[in-house]
Amino acid sequence: MRINNMTFKAGGEAGAGIATIGSMFCKLAQRSGLWAFAENDYPSLIRGGHNTFTARVSDEKIWALHGKIDLLVALNARAVMEHADEMSQRGVIIYDANKVKKEDISVKRADVRLFDVPLSQFAREAGGEIFLNQAAMGAVVAVLGMQIERLYDLIEKTFATKGDEVVEKNRVAAKMGYEHVKAAKKQEFEIKIEPKRAGKTLLLNSNDAVCIGAVKAGLRLVAEYPMSPSSSVLHWMAEHAVRQEIVVKHTEDEIAAINYILGAGFAGVRAMTATSGGGFSLMCEALGNGGIAEIPCVILNVQRAGPSTGLPTYTEQADLRFALHASQGEFPRIVCMPGDAQEAFAETFNVFNMAELAQTPAIILLDKYIGESMQIVERFKETGMKVKRGKLQTDEQMENADKFLRHQITKNGISPRCIPGQKNGIYVCSSYEHDETGYTSEDAQNRIAQIDKRAKKLNAINPNTYQPAFFGNSKSTFLLVSWGSTKGVVLEAMKELQKENINIRFMHIKYASPFAADTIKQALQAASKTLICEGNSEGQMRGLIREKTGVLIENAYLKYDGRPFTVEGMVEKIKSLMQKGEEK
Amino acid sequence: MVSVKDYAQDSHTITWCPGCGDFSILASLKKALVDAKLEPHNVVIASGIGCSGKLPHFIRAYGFESLHGRAVAAASGIKLANHELNVIAVGGDGDGYGIGTNHFVHACRRNYDMAYVVHNNQIYGLTTGQTSPTSEQGFKTKSTPEGVLEVPVNPIALAITMGATYVARGFSGDLVHLAKLIQGGIEHKGFALIDVMQPCVVWNRVNTFEYFRKKTYKLEDEGYEPFDKLKAYERAWEWKERIPLGVFYKADAPTYENGLPQLQSGPLVKKPIENIDIENLLSKYE
Ligand SMILES: Cc1ncc(C[n+]2csc(CCOP(=O)(O)OP(=O)(O)O)c2C)c(N)n1
Ligand SMILES: [Mg+2]
Repeated sequence: MRINNMTFKAGGEAGAGIATIGSMFCKLAQRSGLWAFAENDYPSLIRGGHNTFTARVSDEKIWALHGKIDLLVALNARAVMEHADEMSQRGVIIYDANKVKKEDISVKRADVRLFDVPLSQFAREAGGEIFLNQAAMGAVVAVLGMQIERLYDLIEKTFATKGDEVVEKNRVAAKMGYEHVKAAKKQEFEIKIEPKRAGKTLLLNSNDAVCIGAVKAGLRLVAEYPMSPSSSVLHWMAEHAVRQEIVVKHTEDEIAAINYILGAGFAGVRAMTATSGGGFSLMCEALGNGGIAEIPCVILNVQRAGPSTGLPTYTEQADLRFALHASQGEFPRIVCMPGDAQEAFAETFNVFNMAELAQTPAIILLDKYIGESMQIVERFKETGMKVKRGKLQTDEQMENADKFLRHQITKNGISPRCIPGQKNGIYVCSSYEHDETGYTSEDAQNRIAQIDKRAKKLNAINPNTYQPAFFGNSKSTFLLVSWGSTKGVVLEAMKELQKENINIRFMHIKYASPFAADTIKQALQAASKTLICEGNSEGQMRGLIREKTGVLIENAYLKYDGRPFTVEGMVEKIKSLMQKGEEK
Repeated sequence: MVSVKDYAQDSHTITWCPGCGDFSILASLKKALVDAKLEPHNVVIASGIGCSGKLPHFIRAYGFESLHGRAVAAASGIKLANHELNVIAVGGDGDGYGIGTNHFVHACRRNYDMAYVVHNNQIYGLTTGQTSPTSEQGFKTKSTPEGVLEVPVNPIALAITMGATYVARGFSGDLVHLAKLIQGGIEHKGFALIDVMQPCVVWNRVNTFEYFRKKTYKLEDEGYEPFDKLKAYERAWEWKERIPLGVFYKADAPTYENGLPQLQSGPLVKKPIENIDIENLLSKYE
């Protein structure tokens, strides 16, 4: 009997409600005091195709999927056929006997148990096809030996706003699925969920976490144009706009979106846009406007596999160099790459402060993988979170200002900043090179002075706020380096390696700009074997590290098939390197 | 009392060509702001790039000199951030009706409370004389040596159809009349387009001051009333023989800002952002 440690999968056509089943499952796990990590995989279409949702639950904290499927809910024959090989020993497949004909599926593995539940029939009896999800959930709850009341509670909470009738129909469907399994219980199942008591947790993806971090940071304006996999940010913001007093504008295009937030930043409001690579490409020119005109603003790029339209619903980490160099000319920018939902929340908050302190644009890089993967994390802590607005002048300060220089040359490059409406601060915020007043200037000396002044600004950011994080054995001479979303898979792989007494050191880089070159260099020099893993084909961070530190990381594990790294692959890579010694 | 002096930016020389129509647009704008009794620190002028885009440097008010075509988008962000500001977008015909058309037409639909003054010289001035979206068919320019093939954009008709609630045409050769039109646009609650015929003395030898002096007439002189959308649309197509100046269309309609409950208690910029409570947001995920 395996308790509280399993992998669940639901598969079916797009539009069949796979994501709903998956999120209900994760919520049940959360309410049972467990940890979870869940991934969704879907093609870029609305109906048809093949969608899956995979969730791993555990009674210890987990960061990624790992292991075979113990329980599969297959809403069509394809789901059975495609995933039968991924099943664990004596795994269970629940399928809809009305929709999947026995003769259409052949499962070679004798140990895998097929369990037919007339899901669509139950759904119809409960009131319609849309209740199929709940019939499936009822069956899942029964297989896992959980009490159906837990599902009823969740149904009530989830559908309360939709009225008693909807709650009741969902409950009826769940009950039928549950009782069918209970009654037909031909054999015992080896996996079980036993609820535990646990501290407060959150179940969310990193896109959501960025939203909450931004709200906490005082976000007031969002301008965005939908693009997978960033659109959930627009939806989230729109849903919370009125209550949080945020204006959320779905603009005519991404060029408008970034120009809106530049206008808002100039006017003194914390503003953000979210997009993916294609939209970010359209924003490039205005990004530089933010740079030269010294306007704080935040751009979230939830990376998908490029170039061009690429693989819209698949993941990649190939926009790092692009984020660092987008737009013509040279100007400082902040580039932050959170590794999980917890960091997405905390760093988004920090990034708003940094952008305002340095009066320059900030880019947050997520990707489809963590942007949309749900995970259960500890409830966010808000202690020590303080909004810092840098040299933004108050109305009182401006009351007495005389000959105010918006782009004043100062020691650390940061100039006092006023906003329209304030007396004595009148200036032109310009996309042209300008002098200290803001007036257009093509003077050579002034040009150098302004470029240097702007370049200095990132040094004013406290280095403690952008250091890499270290995990594992600090004495190990094997150093694995990664950035952004690969963090979880690496942590999970380290757990596996520990079981075999392999304890490596792991450095996770959260900021590409400002760049903690000294710390990173020291860590690399202290190691005798180095490996970087990143989700692109060129080794973009590997190149950046070499450029900034002079150190070449010997080995690179690169993945660019649109899919996230796997724990199995990571473990294998590390072990093979340890055994083989050198590898290119 | 605000006077024209308050808007005078005399620390820098104006870099427009002598005789350029932009001078009188600048003067009209200053007069309009004074007549509307607005204080310079509560005014933001957002511009694009072009000869016209340089205007914010020549007037003492807050300015946002954005990118080519983006004046209206930037102005929209400014307005949403602080709707107590008086926001005016300015730019060229290439800027607003070419590269920035998308922002222009959607701002009309949204009816943001702002005025948009377009210096329409029917040419790309700053880039030394290429065709513009409002150049007339057959017009020869550096980029169309054989003459323009396509029909010109009709900004007045476009603004009316797209939902702008104040649509006017002025002429830089009639400063007093133009100032009135701009003032009307500034005071109007909603999106106001003031398209200004502005002869370019260097690159456009067809649509000259003389040309407009001969052809233009004032709508109000003929008893025209600007409240009927279809009539306004019809008038918008009058061009070849006689060119109407004045307000083509004016309507009362709710502004975008008015439709946002978030803004009813005051502008975004005045809302405190320290210690924001996120409990209710987090509990959704528990
Ligand atoms: C993205 C971009 N493309 C091209 C240019 C070059 N450019 C500057 S102004 C301009 C056209 C100016 O024409 P118009 O908008 O009519 O303004 P005018 O100079 O006539 O007042 C162009 C093409 C630019 N600045 N940015
Ligand atoms: Mg022009």
